[in-house]
Amino acid sequence: MSEIQSFLFEGTSVPCTGRETIAAALDRAGIRVLGTGQGDCAGRYFCGIGACQACLVEVDGVRMEACLTPARGGLQVKAISLVSP
Amino acid sequence: MSGPEVLVIGGGPAGVSAALELARAGIDVTLCEQGPQLGGAIHRQPNDATQSVRVPRSHKRRWRALSDELATSTVKVLYRHMFAGIDATGAVLLEDRMHARLVTRRPTALVLAMGAIERVAPVPGWQLPGVVTVGGLQVMMKSTGRAPDGDVLIAGSGPLLVALAAQMVSLGKAPVAVLERSTRPMSVSVIASLLAAPAYLWEAAGYLLTLARSGALPRRGAFVTAIVPKDGRLSVTTLDRNGRERQTLVDRVALHDGLLPNSNGTTAGQHAPFIVRAGDCREVLGGAAALADGRLAAGAVLAHLGQIASVHKGAADALARERQAQAALNTLFDYSGRDPAELPDETIICRCEGRTLGQLRALLTAGDPVSPREIKLNGRFGMGACQGRFCAEWVASFVASQRDGSSPPQVSEIVGSRWPVKPVPISAFVTLPPSSPSE
Repeated sequence: MSEIQSFLFEGTSVPCTGRETIAAALDRAGIRVLGTGQGDCAGRYFCGIGACQACLVEVDGVRMEACLTPARGGLQVKAISLVSP
Repeated sequence: MSGPEVLVIGGGPAGVSAALELARAGIDVTLCEQGPQLGGAIHRQPNDATQSVRVPRSHKRRWRALSDELATSTVKVLYRHMFAGIDATGAVLLEDRMHARLVTRRPTALVLAMGAIERVAPVPGWQLPGVVTVGGLQVMMKSTGRAPDGDVLIAGSGPLLVALAAQMVSLGKAPVAVLERSTRPMSVSVIASLLAAPAYLWEAAGYLLTLARSGALPRRGAFVTAIVPKDGRLSVTTLDRNGRERQTLVDRVALHDGLLPNSNGTTAGQHAPFIVRAGDCREVLGGAAALADGRLAAGAVLAHLGQIASVHKGAADALARERQAQAALNTLFDYSGRDPAELPDETIICRCEGRTLGQLRALLTAGDPVSPREIKLNGRFGMGACQGRFCAEWVASFVASQRDGSSPPQVSEIVGSRWPVKPVPISAFVTLPPSSPSE
């Protein structure tokens, strides 16, 4: 078992292990809503393979899919708020 | 190396198989994978080797053979490199996620092996957190080696439903229910076709036996009609084949209605390199076919480069066998989803921007006939971050159902095809000069 570390999601400490993705770590922490999203479509995990873009979060200031991004101790992860058209 | 460079996009079985075949022929080949690990969705490896999900032995053997050969091959692997498209000059754009920058390459040939995406038929509430694709839940389970928390309802159609359910049972948690929309029976001719690729029969029998033992066999002819949030959970309304309605309170709903090739935005202009698609990205035939198709794609590249490729009779035969088996399998399922006429106006169609069926209906009934491009540009259907991957097919079929006579729009006409294939942060273009190949 790899060492437990933690990253911050919206200021909350989320534990993560070795090769886990940010999406998996958030899910294990019971965090299912990943942002306010747009038009009643909150940020959330859906396809798991980087296709649906529903789990986009900001990782150290850059937007990327939580389901493709390895979790690492010390990361600053934030929900993104999309701009309405 | 000074010879031609070939880029392979996608580190699943098709991409790895193509890359290995090219490397065997002495080609300078680079394999680009969007995530931190190879294997694709089908061969997703556990984060912790001591905690793993039940996987058919044939799958394990297949991946072990590929990864063992890859380890000793000359294939260069770039992890966390996202294919962003091909620009007007023919340059292949990759987003290097490790360094948050864009990398451009000018390969002689490009193999696209980006797998499939799941189809999910729209149903009210399918956009809610906690509603996932069956494959999405399976990928998470394969990685964590644990059953998902909470109560899970699985619905839709396809062999993946029973695979996920059986894998959950093996991890100690049966789903609350498995609803298989199809009522189509197994026929003698289907069994005969599947005997050509008996691995599917064994796999299915294993899963069904597991489900029968735990009382979680699929309820055939049943489907989800609505999902609403309730007390922090999800209240799911279902209809069974006798028309009986039922409410079930769960924590997650996993939906799946078949697979589609993941090839949005990959049409290339006149300056593009020679392009071959391989695996589910070309035709959804599954993992065994992907292996053969990767070799065939590599053969096509070698032929383009003027090398005499070894005869791929075996691969072509394997592909034909898998095509026959998949066609037989598909007759058992019902991927149609609900008739949109039965869906309420508030049903969300575009999951990125929350555009509803009511808004689509209004767009189509307003005065002038709407062109396919206007559906996107004015209606914003297929406009969001997923670029129509999860809605365009349903939008197209709904528009077709509303127009008698006139030709129905094609998905490609609504969505268009241009890079980037996926959203790329502007900062990736400007922070570092987008030229140097990353190490």
